[in-house]
Amino acid sequence: MNRRRSELRNAMSSSNLRDLQRELENKANDLSKLQKEIAKNHQMRKKYTVQLGENELVLKELDLLKDDANVYKLIGPVLVKQDLAEANANVRKRIEYISAELKRLDATVQDLEEKQNSKKDTILKLQQRIQSFQAGKGKA
Amino acid sequence: MDESTKKGSVTSLASLFPVEEAQRAAKRVEDTIADKQSELDRLRGFATDNNSLINLVHKLPEQLSHDIMVPFGKAAFFPGRLIHTNEFLVLLGEGYYAERTSKQTVEILQRRGKSLDSQVDSLEANIKDLEAEASFFNATASQVAEGLVEIREDYLEKDSNEGEFKSGHLQQEAPNLGNATADDGEYARMLAIMDELEKEELAAESGNHSDQNDESTGDFHDISYREHIDNKLQNSKDVHQSELLDQINNKIITADLPKKQNRKEDITDQLNFASLAVESRVKERENFVEYIDPSEKIPARSKERSVQATTASKTEVRHQTSQPSFDSRKAFTGSIIEHAENIKPTTRQQSSASSQDSGSQSSKPVSRFKMQRR
Repeated sequence: MNRRRSELRNAMSSSNLRDLQRELENKANDLSKLQKEIAKNHQMRKKYTVQLGENELVLKELDLLKDDANVYKLIGPVLVKQDLAEANANVRKRIEYISAELKRLDATVQDLEEKQNSKKDTILKLQQRIQSFQAGKGKA
Repeated sequence: MDESTKKGSVTSLASLFPVEEAQRAAKRVEDTIADKQSELDRLRGFATDNNSLINLVHKLPEQLSHDIMVPFGKAAFFPGRLIHTNEFLVLLGEGYYAERTSKQTVEILQRRGKSLDSQVDSLEANIKDLEAEASFFNATASQVAEGLVEIREDYLEKDSNEGEFKSGHLQQEAPNLGNATADDGEYARMLAIMDELEKEELAAESGNHSDQNDESTGDFHDISYREHIDNKLQNSKDVHQSELLDQINNKIITADLPKKQNRKEDITDQLNFASLAVESRVKERENFVEYIDPSEKIPARSKERSVQATTASKTEVRHQTSQPSFDSRKAFTGSIIEHAENIKPTTRQQSSASSQDSGSQSSKPVSRFKMQRR
């Protein structure tokens, strides 16, 4: 009786263990995907911050220019003369756009990190369960 | 084990931070430092370029024209002449250019140089922080490699009265906190039971694995349950066991008295929460007593009984002084004395007056039980 029960338990636990391990694998894959996304996001963010810095520098210089200064914009291979006011407005718009983009990226990064943390938690729990299973099996 | 848990815990640093982990951490920080260093070098290069450009822009308008070699393609140059030496088209960034004079250009370049300098400063500070971190990691790694040990001790008040109490308290608690290796058998049994319960639970909720609330509360129950068990084990082992053993011995000495059956039950009742080992020992003794009993002759028994009653009562008294609040024992001695009184008041007086005297009455036949006892 006892032996049969323990055999039953072993069979049950081994199938359960397999399920758990499969789940763990899935979760780990999800986690690595999330981490990749976060890394990508970070790179984008870095690029945008650099652009923002450059734009702010340009804006500062444009502000310092006198009204009669000639300003050109490089479009493809040619320099096109631009009105200073127009250039100024363009740069401002660009800065606004980049700031908005940065904010969006921050939000997504936060979201992703939250997801990552919860995934990590679940993975930890799964690992603990697997360990307890194995310990129980070793005892039985 | 107990010695170490009495006052604090000793953990080897290697178990907290494995050597490879520490080394890996140190390596990662050093890699970041290398990255930052190359970035810093790049920025410094920009700064020097900027400075030389400022110098050039300063010098260019000093003459109306310059004879130069104009690069043509990758490998060819042809002679040329630089005119309009005070007109510059300066790239502001993001594809914007502005026409500037030499002086204005120099101003722009200087502003750029300032921002570069601030960037260099921040980067240097960053590198310094990282270096401190790296040195910490390296130190940890080397300490781990040396097998350093972390000792944690709870702070205890130095009151002379409370010192003992607290240390005792700690001693009792220490096994509860950590691994109760002392009572492996019981513990293993409990664990097995809990495993069984857990498995049943899992089988029941095989559908919804991701119910985290349930899990966490389950864990909590397990833990509290375990602690409870530990406490019980602790109590039954440390406090009762030794007393019980003494008491059992005493009772067994006089166990050939008529009310044997009752007393046996008493003993087993009291043993309810002692460990199995003790019980088995008691059984052994009982068997022994039962084996002896029928062989005794009735006349010899009465005298013998009186002697034993005295010895038993003596030991009883000794014990009662040490542990005055034990009722079952009192009732027990009472029963013995009752029996002894049945025989003769004189013998009882004699024997109770001096146990040595009764012991020296060698002319009396001595029972096999007593002989064995000696």
